[in-house]
Amino acid sequence: MSSPAISLPHDHDHGQAGGHDDGHDDGHQGHVHLQYQPGLPLSRGKLIMWLFLSTEIMFFAALLGSYIVLRFGAAIWPKPHHVHLSEPIGAFNTFVLICSSVTVVLAFEMAKSNKTGLAKLWMLLTLLLGTLFLGVKAYEYQAKFSHGIFPWAPHGLIHERPDLYYGSAVRARLGEPAIIDRLKELDETPADKLGPEQQAARSALQQVRTMVADPNQQAFDMAVVADQIAPLPAEGTGSHSAGHAHGINDAFPWLRLPIVIPGGNMWASTYFLLTGFHAIHVIVGLIVFAVLLSYPLGRANAGMIESAGLYWHFVDLVWIFMFPLLYLF
Amino acid sequence: MSDHAAHDDAPAHDDHAHGGIGKYIAVFVALCFLTTMSFLTYSPAWPWRDQPQVGWAFMMAVSCTKAMLVVLFFMHVWWEANWKYVLTIPAAMMALFMVIMLAPDIGMRNRMVSQERAIHMARPSDLLMLERASADAAHAAPAAH
Repeated sequence: MSSPAISLPHDHDHGQAGGHDDGHDDGHQGHVHLQYQPGLPLSRGKLIMWLFLSTEIMFFAALLGSYIVLRFGAAIWPKPHHVHLSEPIGAFNTFVLICSSVTVVLAFEMAKSNKTGLAKLWMLLTLLLGTLFLGVKAYEYQAKFSHGIFPWAPHGLIHERPDLYYGSAVRARLGEPAIIDRLKELDETPADKLGPEQQAARSALQQVRTMVADPNQQAFDMAVVADQIAPLPAEGTGSHSAGHAHGINDAFPWLRLPIVIPGGNMWASTYFLLTGFHAIHVIVGLIVFAVLLSYPLGRANAGMIESAGLYWHFVDLVWIFMFPLLYLF
Repeated sequence: MSDHAAHDDAPAHDDHAHGGIGKYIAVFVALCFLTTMSFLTYSPAWPWRDQPQVGWAFMMAVSCTKAMLVVLFFMHVWWEANWKYVLTIPAAMMALFMVIMLAPDIGMRNRMVSQERAIHMARPSDLLMLERASADAAHAAPAAH
């Protein structure tokens, strides 16, 4: 209480400023001693990290809040198996992030007790778990991309309804010069050169080509076309192979015919936005940990580790909310 | 203030007593249990199958519990001073506001649509049509589909 933390340099010409009990006359120096009262009982680094986290809370609250509103206000929303979303993989990712939160907390505890080797070990583990999370996310993204589910056109193949506009999109794709050449090649391939799935897909493709060219096509015909290209059977019905029903787009990935997923475009947009921003935050956290690994992780640097840990816990927190909203609802 | 781990050696000189590692493990176990619980709505034992809102409320409750555990213990907020309320309470209020404020314009956007939109927007009958086409195809050629 009585140890002064700040000395104000005092100018001779203005005389000595009085009024402080602790002030004393140094003669030619004349310092005024004030007491520094920290506004909050936490270090500056931690304070600024919490202030930053509150901005991040607002950021993700906006994203998640608008997702909630968009999803529950939609006339129809795709089921997880329509968009190749796997709940067990999401649960595994949740588990990975929870483990990484534990490891970063342990790294902090080790650093506080100056056990630098152990602290480094736990921090390395955190880094590895975070990388594992990103790897699983990349695998999930690949599953979407390979089925034509992208967050934007023209990469995305999703149409909302199996209507005449969809039919004309299929017709347009089948009429592209490169596709015409490959289709000709496909038609001329003898049956024994194709696998059984591809033979079945080839005859289904023939049916599709006839139906989209038919001037008397009915509304239900387009549903049949859509079903041949990328089926959406009710869960538990229809025959499945490799975990999801196969269509023409699966047998011939180069074909990339337009598909129908009711509500699929809005789903893709929100899914990729939410998980993409979250993944960017994970990458930033991993960079921070990689940089921290080059520091000695002892008591002196425990504050830095605590702040980095706070950020990482927040990233975990966001995923804890995102997982049920995206995967389970 | 906290339980002691067997390998505890350094004396406490920080906000909360050292040796809280057992606490972290306990929180970790609780988090794993809660994550498993969120799948409870999928099990045959779940009684409210035809009321999805109950399932959603349950899953949100599980998420909030998990979040509280992470915030309180992993982020040390349990041991922090009163500034934690200044930080968390307005943020929680604003997160709730965000959803409420978006509900009329975005949440209820499909209550009154233009004919142009009505022609192009997806609806449950489209999904039923696709499922029927799939069922027909499965009946027609079960081996090939």
